[in-house]
Amino acid sequence: MLTILILMPFLCGLGVLLPLSKVFRLKLFLAVSLAHSLITVSFWRQMPIQEYHGFLVLDPLGLILLSIISFLFLSVSIFMVGYFQHEPRRNRVFMACLFFLLSTMTIVTVSYHFGLLWVAIEATTLFSAPLISFHRNQQSLQATWRYLLVCSVGIALALLGTFFLAIAAHDVHSLLLPVLLKGAASLSVNWMKLSIIFFIVGYGCKMGLAPTHSWKPEAYGQATGMVVVLMAGALTQCSFLALLRVAQICNKTGLTGFYSSILIVSGVLSLIVPAMFILGERNIKRAFAYSSVEHMGLLVLGLGLGAVGLFGALFHMINNALAKVIMFLTAGSVAQKYGSTSADQVRGVIHLYPLTGVFLIAALLAGTGMFPFGTFHSELLILNAMIISKQYLLVAISVVCLAIMFIGIGKIVLDIIHGQPKEPVLPKNENLFMNAAIAAAVVLLITIGLWMPSPLEKLLHDAVALVEGAT
Amino acid sequence: MNIVFLILVHWLIVLTLAPLFTGVITKVKAFFAGKKGPSVFQAYFDLQKLFQKSSVYSSTTTWIFRAAPIVNLAAVLVLSLLVPVGVLKAPVQFAGDIFLAAYILGLARFFMIAAGLDTGSSFEGMGASREAFFSCLTELALFMNFITLSLVARSISLSTMIGADFPLSWKLMGPILLLVAASFFIVILAENARIPVDDPDTHLELTMIHEVMILDHSGVDLAYMFYAAIIKLFVFAGILVPIIFPIQTGNITVDMLVFLGAMLVVSIMIGVVESVMARLRLNRVQNLLLIAFALAFFGFVVKMWKG
Amino acid sequence: MTSWVDASCIIIVFLSLIILSNYRVVAMIRVFAIQSLVLGLLPFFMHASCISSRDVLISLITLILKVALVPSILFWAIRHVSMRAEIKPIIGFGSSIVFGALIIAGAFWISLSLKLPGKPVSDLILPCSLSTVLLGFMIMVTRTRAVTQVLGYLIMENGIFLFAVSLFDVMPVLIEMGILLDIFVAVFIMAIVVNHINEEFEKSAESIIPKIGETF
Repeated sequence: MLTILILMPFLCGLGVLLPLSKVFRLKLFLAVSLAHSLITVSFWRQMPIQEYHGFLVLDPLGLILLSIISFLFLSVSIFMVGYFQHEPRRNRVFMACLFFLLSTMTIVTVSYHFGLLWVAIEATTLFSAPLISFHRNQQSLQATWRYLLVCSVGIALALLGTFFLAIAAHDVHSLLLPVLLKGAASLSVNWMKLSIIFFIVGYGCKMGLAPTHSWKPEAYGQATGMVVVLMAGALTQCSFLALLRVAQICNKTGLTGFYSSILIVSGVLSLIVPAMFILGERNIKRAFAYSSVEHMGLLVLGLGLGAVGLFGALFHMINNALAKVIMFLTAGSVAQKYGSTSADQVRGVIHLYPLTGVFLIAALLAGTGMFPFGTFHSELLILNAMIISKQYLLVAISVVCLAIMFIGIGKIVLDIIHGQPKEPVLPKNENLFMNAAIAAAVVLLITIGLWMPSPLEKLLHDAVALVEGAT
Repeated sequence: MNIVFLILVHWLIVLTLAPLFTGVITKVKAFFAGKKGPSVFQAYFDLQKLFQKSSVYSSTTTWIFRAAPIVNLAAVLVLSLLVPVGVLKAPVQFAGDIFLAAYILGLARFFMIAAGLDTGSSFEGMGASREAFFSCLTELALFMNFITLSLVARSISLSTMIGADFPLSWKLMGPILLLVAASFFIVILAENARIPVDDPDTHLELTMIHEVMILDHSGVDLAYMFYAAIIKLFVFAGILVPIIFPIQTGNITVDMLVFLGAMLVVSIMIGVVESVMARLRLNRVQNLLLIAFALAFFGFVVKMWKG
Repeated sequence: MTSWVDASCIIIVFLSLIILSNYRVVAMIRVFAIQSLVLGLLPFFMHASCISSRDVLISLITLILKVALVPSILFWAIRHVSMRAEIKPIIGFGSSIVFGALIIAGAFWISLSLKLPGKPVSDLILPCSLSTVLLGFMIMVTRTRAVTQVLGYLIMENGIFLFAVSLFDVMPVLIEMGILLDIFVAVFIMAIVVNHINEEFEKSAESIIPKIGETF
């Protein structure tokens, strides 16, 4: 079952490289995303069996991420049908890379071997790079290049971390997760510590934690909205899954204190740094990129705090992904209509496109964690965890940074929505598909914010138990 | 044996053999150029010719100009006393003689630079300034090599490092020797004004470094300068040979033959490098010399690592 | 075969230093090919007494990918570029060499506190691989042309591979293959992006790093 899930998009990706019609590719992508989502939903009822001698296993942690990926790809595929109606460029390489991305991200969620995990994450980096430079102008090429280089260096460091883990596990003689967990007592502590540092720096670079976040504003600012949704909502969280797997081993070896202090420092840094840059920002996609850095910081803080914070972090994974759908798809829609996402050039959206204006407000509220969106709930859980562990300074810093983030993004969004409308580039009608995708995410996020369904709650608790090592 | 006798024998051998290897280099270069080239013994004939001529002195020069060739040749001859030639042990050896070696070279170089400036000609001045700059970097590499070798041999006497009972062996310390040999080869090319640092055959004064400093010398003075350059090359190659070919069989004849053969190989290597490369732009020469230093430094680090 | 392994490690670091100080892109790519050649032969040196099919497989794939395919991809990416020399790196060539030497010393110093378990064939593998990684990183960071930055990344990967060579029995062959393949695809994609960059930026010498103050 898992193999089908992985191979199906991969083969379709190869097939899409053939000369086909643009519309056919879009429909194929929609079909594949739908199939992927249906299979994932079936996993909620019953987990699939492991394959390849335990190399591919789906556990609760993986299922969370897999569901996120499925939903994100589904909403992007619906959005794309509307987006490409007005987009003249060929989409052959673009679609192929999207298929490959779906396939490799699926591998990340189910890989139980650290080497395989690395290979899959590196593959996701490689296949997402051509997506950024879709428009092939100077700035997007520079953004792609910076993304490729910084993330490749990060991934190389993560590879070194994997090797250090292999050395630490010299007696255990394997890099499979269950084997490592069983033989946790025999892992060499010094090499484990070194490996943890390299993992956090390497995969953190991929996540966009400060101080290796510099690729985010440029990459997210230049890529189209749909691509950024996948990158910000799914790709960065794939790296977070890698950190969660490392945390599983750390908790068994008793190095919890070591890694949580590093994570808390990174998390706080990732909260402070974007707050410093957001206030001068005028481009909404770049502002959302800074917001993404901040959300990654929150995730990592939650992981570092353990127990309640971890529950909050896992819940935040879902909410963050949905919020990103709203934020970046709306920004993409604005970009297509006006040709720019800067608040200096785009004004008065609410007068011409009322639905898009409403979505922008929803994006602002969802992205900064306002009631009734789900992000409010998960951020509250993480702050709660800080209070429980008596880190009051941390609470103060976090709240201030989140507030600054709200002010910064709010300023841009309100500037874009209100004011004298400038002439947009496209004819004045809203697109059904684009709006449907965003609306679905809004509805889902508000629903989760108000009521947590019990299967989800059970899944989250199972996942927390898995990371904590209680099972 | 009497020390004076040893010194005289040493000098006799050095003075006789040295011009031969310069001829070998010229022959290799001619071979690469498809020419027959001058005979291998051409250097002897050149020296003979120069010794029979008289010197002409410019009116701007002072005693420094007259002293420089003498000091140069004398310094190089003293240097040759510190270096063993094959089985022939160095007549003069004491702890710390590597410093004497380096600074004797510095003395010779100082007088050459001063003589160049003494002529008051801008060409010589230009060559002098280039020589001064490059020799700073070369000495850096040279000293780094000496440091590494002295760590290996646990002594700071040149003869112990490369002499008859040397501790060098490719099996035990292969990588370190590789690095030191590579670095020292570059130092040889730099010190003896060979391509890629300086072209000894060029006739354009603007491109010269060493040749232009001795442009104004003539007759016996020029013979002394020429002889000094030849002996310097011989001595440096003699230091490199035990590093590359540390072979000790115990049989005197065999060892001497091996030594001469190795010297031939080194000369051919220099000739090949001269033929296949072009002279580097002057602002790239410092990179080459810094690479020589970096290699020697790397060898030093590896030696410290290996304990 | 300890001395052969030692010599190979030293040569690999030596060649990284040469690339660091070089200013001609074509020469740099060729030196990288030589470095990958030595790296590809290393498994043979390490297990000289008991060569397994696994060693042969990994050596072969490394040689094909890194010595033959990757350099040709890089040459293809710069085929239209007329200016083959490098513009001055951010800290100058001479300073880069001195820094490189200091980095090597630093890497050896760090390796003093790290002890590999088991009995490795040569004790130079760890410090040399660390030096190569750091030198590759330095090339990436101080150079301004896209192709040389790719070369820096490749040298980093070479250093990591050198480290992995001593871990053969822990990593399954398939994962090693996956890693090599990933690196190959990485270079492939980088070369394509470099190609686009060269087409887009008319002056091929223009720096890929935006000037200070330039935002987009």
